[in-house]
Amino acid sequence: MLFSGIPFLFYFLPLVLVIYFAVPRGGKNAVLLLSSLFFYGWGEPKFLFFMLAAILQGYLLAILIEKAKREYPGGKRSKVFLAASVALSLGLLGYCKYADFFITNFNALTGLSLPLLKIALPIGISFYTFQIMSYVVDVYRGEVKAQRSLIDFGAYVAFFPQLIAGPIVRYADIEADLKDRRHTVEGTAAGVRRFGIGLGKKVLLANQLAELAAHFNAAEEKSLLFYWLYAAATMLYIYFDFSGYSDMAIGLGRIFCFRFPENFNYPYISGSITEFWRRWHMTLGGWFRDYLYIPLGGNRKGQGRRLFNIFIVWAATGLWHGAAWNFAAWGLMFAVLLMLEKLWLPDVLQNKMFGLGVLRHVYVLVAVAVSFVLFDAADMAAAADIIIAMFGGAGVPAVDELSLYYLQSYGLILLLAVVGATPVPARIVADLGRKKAMAPLMAVAEPLFVLGLLVVCTAFLIDGSFNPFLYFRF
Amino acid sequence: MSENVSENKVDGLTEFKSWATLTLAAVFVFGFAVGGLLLPDSEVSSAERRPLAQMPELSIKTVLNGQFMGDFDAYSLDQFPLRDDFRGIKAAVAAALGRQDNNGIYAAGEHLAALEYPYDAESVRYAAGRMQYVYRQYLAAGGGKVYLSIVPDKGYFLAGESGRPALDYQALAADMQEGLPFAEYIDIFGELTAADYYYTDAHWRQENLLPVAEKLAEGLGVKLSAEYECREAEQPFYGVYAGQYALPHGADTLRWLTNEQLAAMTVYDYESQGYLPVYDESKLDGDDSYEMYLGGPKSLLVLENPAAESDRELIVFRDSFGSSLVPLLAEAYAKITLVDIRYVSPAFLGSFMQFDGQDVLFLYSTGVLNNSITIK
Repeated sequence: MLFSGIPFLFYFLPLVLVIYFAVPRGGKNAVLLLSSLFFYGWGEPKFLFFMLAAILQGYLLAILIEKAKREYPGGKRSKVFLAASVALSLGLLGYCKYADFFITNFNALTGLSLPLLKIALPIGISFYTFQIMSYVVDVYRGEVKAQRSLIDFGAYVAFFPQLIAGPIVRYADIEADLKDRRHTVEGTAAGVRRFGIGLGKKVLLANQLAELAAHFNAAEEKSLLFYWLYAAATMLYIYFDFSGYSDMAIGLGRIFCFRFPENFNYPYISGSITEFWRRWHMTLGGWFRDYLYIPLGGNRKGQGRRLFNIFIVWAATGLWHGAAWNFAAWGLMFAVLLMLEKLWLPDVLQNKMFGLGVLRHVYVLVAVAVSFVLFDAADMAAAADIIIAMFGGAGVPAVDELSLYYLQSYGLILLLAVVGATPVPARIVADLGRKKAMAPLMAVAEPLFVLGLLVVCTAFLIDGSFNPFLYFRF
Repeated sequence: MSENVSENKVDGLTEFKSWATLTLAAVFVFGFAVGGLLLPDSEVSSAERRPLAQMPELSIKTVLNGQFMGDFDAYSLDQFPLRDDFRGIKAAVAAALGRQDNNGIYAAGEHLAALEYPYDAESVRYAAGRMQYVYRQYLAAGGGKVYLSIVPDKGYFLAGESGRPALDYQALAADMQEGLPFAEYIDIFGELTAADYYYTDAHWRQENLLPVAEKLAEGLGVKLSAEYECREAEQPFYGVYAGQYALPHGADTLRWLTNEQLAAMTVYDYESQGYLPVYDESKLDGDDSYEMYLGGPKSLLVLENPAAESDRELIVFRDSFGSSLVPLLAEAYAKITLVDIRYVSPAFLGSFMQFDGQDVLFLYSTGVLNNSITIK
């Protein structure tokens, strides 16, 4: 079930809200767990077993880790339980997501023809296995206490707002909310507002721009302008799709009185790739930093080891997004850029000289555009063809009638998306809200804006069949 | 957990804003949720001219294999309350955002037209292949003359002028001629302009088709001389694009050309095994008034002209454009057989028809040739 779908918006969500607010407080987490299992099972009932097994192992092994640490302090038993849980999580992820990738490459290397397992990837598996791993590691580190209630733990892992597209919520982030939540009208309204904005980002911007990318892929003639329109549309639709889902998740969390971490912070205004990754998919970056980069030694073991750690983390980041070489290349491209920035470009990136600031932004935008062409392409060869053509290597005309048509048809949406990817709209709204004279107008305009978004998004969902789900590979 | 505890320092405006946000959102979501459950389901969408998805069957099997969920998604979209109004809102917002077409339908002056792009050479090859099959199977032995003519969709006249991407019509015509080397090509592109098509529909206006009919007749080696009376439907005609475009648009007026000779002709319909009028005025009250020409989509019709001065016969393999054109050729033939191989497989034609040297015309529109998956 998708947040940006009629069954979710007009059947599932209203029903869950009615039941959730009708049951006494002691039953609310059970409602969240059961509704989340229904939500997950709606699309793929058979994959419920994978998730339930993952929940069960995380729940039991965390308790065993805690018990072992308490009863055998300094002993190896807790480490064994930790290793078992991590192995089970990675094993499940590896089996479902990477088995065929490895078999394909093994066959290519050896000339053998081992049959593929052809396992359909359970949606959201990369998110919930990472949440379980972070929880188990945090219990091992003593940073959180093991959850004794299977219902509460299940509700944490399976909680539908963040189940299939993040943000990756750590147990510590919502431990207190799982126990005690204070529902307020203001909090719930803020959640509705955030959900509406996320829905608007997904339906009105991401879906439209993804349509432009689809037109590019279907076109028989392509000009240089069309290649760059595609690159711009792709980097913007991926951003608005992903950050839109995050906004919807955060908004839904607030409606149920949970505070999820932020996942995006205007990444396209970054002046370096290092800054970009501090602003893009922040919960994933934070996860890899805390559970992979730092345990590997981070930057504490010399320059060579640091570069090796960066390489490992970014290869893993790439492959986390999809089991294909273009995803690995996408991650490694960022590894190379980050190494360059850390080793050779720190002076340039910090230099305040006039004009360099603009160049830094151009560098980030071009690098990210190229990276998302790699990300979006069917395979490495297709990505290479597009990237070569973007830089004039395909001998295509600069402009043709078709690209001008699509520029005309999507120009305003692209412009709105570019402005929407900066903090400017939020700043304008905040400034207006601070002006006393404008406050009454804003108090009326804001609810109407949210209603308008819901109406228009519903209209686009009803009329348009183009509502892709990006996260099938995650 | 304590419920509905207001934060302490909430000013009046914030409280108003929060309550207003919640109330408006709740009324909208719950209102349409309840409406969707209570309102009766519709069978068809007259605006979109298609059947609407119905409530899927709920069973353990359909739930476990995911079919119920997929079908329910389609059902919830199709049966959403005020669906056509929401489609209108979407079209208006898309236009305000600068979109040059809505679901592939665009407005060019008073015309609504469909984007027909890009040129699908494979589709055209497939269509030509099916016609080659017909030729090999039935026509080659008979020795009759075979002709090919292509009806341009109105994008030929409107797309380029209005800055929309246009099909490569030259390539399409060339590929069809190459694919049907046994057929003599009759080019009618020059006999048409945008004004010869309805504003809201894909089809051409019969009252403007006499030059096309004459060009075809010349190619077919027959002469036309009939005079016609032009009749006009009282009902407004909203063509197929009017509903798909989803924004308000003026209606067309549907007209037809008739005379005593046409009125005396008989049309036998193999599907219903009965006779139809050449112009079925009862269809003017239906969803698609254009179906009044030869009864609309029909797989196999035989039009007989008792007043014919010769015994020449013609077989027309055609799509819906042929329905309004063929009556204008009828005076020159004793019998015209109309075959639509989108509705009947050519493999079965031998059971219904005899091929013994009649003239044969393949008359297809660019829209069907470029999307030939419907041809059997």
